[in-house]
Amino acid sequence: MKRQLALIRFALGSAHRRTGRTLSLAVALALVTFGYSSVLFLTEALRSEFRLAATALPDLTVQSLVAGRPALINEEQLPAIASIAGVVAVQPRVWGYYFVPAMSGNFTVVGVDTDAETVRRDLSLVMLEGKLPGASGEVVLGESLAAFLGLEITDAVTLPVGRAMKRLELVGTFRSQVALWTSDVILMNVADAREFLQVPPGQATDLAVLLSTPDEASVAARKIAELLPSARIVDRQLMSRTYDLTFDTRGGMMGGMLLSALVSFLILAWDRLTGVGPGERREIGVLKAVGWRTGDVLIARLWENTVIAVYGAVPGILAAYGYVFLARAPGLAEVLLGWSSIYPALRLTPAVDPGQFLVLLCLVVIPFVAASLIPAWRTATHDPHGLLRGAA
Amino acid sequence: MIRTWPSPTTRWHLAWAGLLLAGAVAMLVDAQVRRAAQQARQPEVQSVVRLLGVADLALSSSSRWLRHPSIAEPGAPFADGPAILDNDPAGAAISPPRASERGRHSERK
Repeated sequence: MKRQLALIRFALGSAHRRTGRTLSLAVALALVTFGYSSVLFLTEALRSEFRLAATALPDLTVQSLVAGRPALINEEQLPAIASIAGVVAVQPRVWGYYFVPAMSGNFTVVGVDTDAETVRRDLSLVMLEGKLPGASGEVVLGESLAAFLGLEITDAVTLPVGRAMKRLELVGTFRSQVALWTSDVILMNVADAREFLQVPPGQATDLAVLLSTPDEASVAARKIAELLPSARIVDRQLMSRTYDLTFDTRGGMMGGMLLSALVSFLILAWDRLTGVGPGERREIGVLKAVGWRTGDVLIARLWENTVIAVYGAVPGILAAYGYVFLARAPGLAEVLLGWSSIYPALRLTPAVDPGQFLVLLCLVVIPFVAASLIPAWRTATHDPHGLLRGAA
Repeated sequence: MIRTWPSPTTRWHLAWAGLLLAGAVAMLVDAQVRRAAQQARQPEVQSVVRLLGVADLALSSSSRWLRHPSIAEPGAPFADGPAILDNDPAGAAISPPRASERGRHSERK
């Protein structure tokens, strides 16, 4: 223990004496760590937000497919699905997309039964201000969409629906806490949504199926598929898997790009650590001449490189945390999330815990220390006389 | 010979290591506090999912399969245009118009 402490002290002094090399390696390592950590923090946080919401999803979503594309589903199927054992409720949903060419904006229009007690309770929980929508033309907007349209409460906007124009009055906005889900949403009553999206009565966008035992979703899905052979049935678990894959793909793509930066850095580190200067040669020569073994020199070098790696990696991780969760990842969010007319305010919750922090640290520190192992060994095995004479 | 421990160099390193450790602890505590706040707003999030019927995050509304990836059919990108190139790399490479930043950074308390 005492010997290791002495070696660590020597390594710290050595890192301090070669300030230029220590700083350049630590800064380069911090930059690479920052890139990786930012991508990881952002994708993990988005996944965690989805998981938080996924528990409230219907157990099954039934869509109708025509020519491989989603089509409106006939509500006549409702009683047959509702009669399947284990099905608690089947709700036809009217929702869809509304594109405004003048604004190059694609909005999500959602119709709800504004008279239903459960809907009014949910709305009162998620609305920031204004009154609950009820009458025709009254809408609740996501905060980003309201800002995009430049609307305040009680303001009205007229939007084209086919050849006609529809007047919408903003009666409330969603709270910023749910902005990640509602930024582009226009919520209105079902009749308005049908008119807006041109969904005829008796048809719906899809059906939400609630089950008494969610674990039996696959059994219920099979029975629904027998009733509606052309339907696409999505269960809650499949939705969660899709989401994980989506962010794995995007995060992985960024990670792949950053991999070349890490490899370049390791090559740079190898090059820097292999080149032993005259001062360093003399130092090793003196150490070996006074009785240091090759193993001691090697361990001192490993400690020195570990210190450099930690000094670089930890600030990189801390900076990434601040960048993603305090500054809301300007630049990276646009790259990861793609193009859109309306963006939510990225108020994300970090998913990082001590275990993840240590894993991230090890992912950076271990390759760096491993890459420095052979240069350290080559330095340590030099002949002390040759080193002192400057011949090595 | 007078030996002082810790030496000025060691003291400097200990101070820096302490600072990094304090930063890491502060980060983990902050993450924990934010996670607790996230749990506290779970009823609101669940209400909004019940209202909307989907839990997809409104991160990109440029295509239906980017807006609602969990329920878009597997061939959705190709339905938008046969033999279309995947939008994802384009989405990752092309920055949004500056006008859209107005919506992104606007928020209310």
